[in-house]
Amino acid sequence: MSVENVLSSKVRIKILKILMRMGELNVSEIARRLGVNYGIAIRHLKILENADMVKQKTFGKIRLYRLNEHSPKVMALQKLIEVWEHQNK
Amino acid sequence: MYRQSSVFKDETKLDISYVPSRLPHREKELKLLRQFFTFLLQFPGKMAQRIIITGDVGTGKTVLSQRFGTDITNEASKLGIKLCYIHVNCREYRGSLFLILHQAIARFHPNFPRRGYSAEELINILFDVLEEENAYAILALDEFESLVDKEGSEAVYKLTRLQETRHGKPQRLSLICITRNLKALEHLDASTKSTLQSNIINLEKYSKTQLIDILNDRVALAFKQSTVSAETVDLVAELAFSEGGNARFGIELLWRAGKYADAEGSGTVTPEHVRRAAANIIPTLRKSEIASLGLHEKIFLLGIARLFKTSQAAHVPFSEAERAYTIICEELGEKPHSHTQLWKYLQNFAMMGIIKTEVSTIGNRGRTTIIYLPRTPADELEKTLSDTLENCGRSL
Repeated sequence: MSVENVLSSKVRIKILKILMRMGELNVSEIARRLGVNYGIAIRHLKILENADMVKQKTFGKIRLYRLNEHSPKVMALQKLIEVWEHQNK
Repeated sequence: MYRQSSVFKDETKLDISYVPSRLPHREKELKLLRQFFTFLLQFPGKMAQRIIITGDVGTGKTVLSQRFGTDITNEASKLGIKLCYIHVNCREYRGSLFLILHQAIARFHPNFPRRGYSAEELINILFDVLEEENAYAILALDEFESLVDKEGSEAVYKLTRLQETRHGKPQRLSLICITRNLKALEHLDASTKSTLQSNIINLEKYSKTQLIDILNDRVALAFKQSTVSAETVDLVAELAFSEGGNARFGIELLWRAGKYADAEGSGTVTPEHVRRAAANIIPTLRKSEIASLGLHEKIFLLGIARLFKTSQAAHVPFSEAERAYTIICEELGEKPHSHTQLWKYLQNFAMMGIIKTEVSTIGNRGRTTIIYLPRTPADELEKTLSDTLENCGRSL
């Protein structure tokens, strides 16, 4: 998937920022923090998962998402967001 | 930062949550615990262990389990075994199996959601989490009686037996159940009880000499050199011994006495500071202890409190306490328990340090048990009990 396809969405950037801060969250909680419904959250999470930027673990009915910390894309993006937010302070 | 004049070197060493590296007079029990769990280091996953640690307040149950937890976790880590010791106070989680299990899972997944599944699902999730992490856990259930009271046999059965139904999978969850007395187990069904009762470590009350050793250890850790004399430690040990060999009480008293010394600007902690500190703490009235009593125990104790409140006497006879109990039973529409049962309750209160009993012979007309309320103000006890009963839906 191309970078513009993955990062063109405000929701997906927000998901990445939430997971950077929280480490790991279930879908409902991610949706709640985004202010979107479960379906929308899961759709965006799938796109990020396909781009190998997030990973999921399922325990019974609970699906937990976290950043794929080993992905160079995630590492680079983390750095970019940190720099960005630092500059904005 | 402490002022220059403080007697303390590090007062956190007197905190209830502090786990010392050495547990004087509990070496044998620590070794025994280690023996029970040897298999976990040698053949992890082959079996799960269930242990009960029992003993009165301040006999070192919690600290023993925590010391053991830290030691075995370190040892396992050296052997490349991922072992997690999870200490949960059941009372803090209102005896709810769901909340207790959630707390255990949160050790691996701190943001694990709190809603959307049952306690039974949560047990399976815990097993899945352990499986996924290739980890083993020792779940220490402190104040275990609170879990039994709230959830009954079913919950304990699930905890102890459910993993046996996961055929072909390693046994990853072991339990340490910590309880003040084994009475809690009476409510369990026979099979659950037999599963649990095979390994019991009973902690005897500390003697005065043992308390002196424990207190000396803490003095060395918490106080500056030569600020606490042997006489001071001796008095603290004496008071802790009279409180049922309660080391926790002794340590708390030591801390308070240190605070009195600091407030006075005295460079040393004297027996007088200890006496003043002792006069200001009421160790016998712990609300959690009151809450753990059964309904009729609470009613009986309320009867005793009311008697002391109205009579202003130093002691009351058992027969009068029984009469006061019967009156409250009538108020609440409860059928009174028998004399023998009440006598057992009385022994329990005495064991908990709430009251003291003495057998007195009046003339030659037999013996009677008299009851003392040595430290707790009767009105405070009455209020606590009335509030607790009200919380259980029994208003007076």
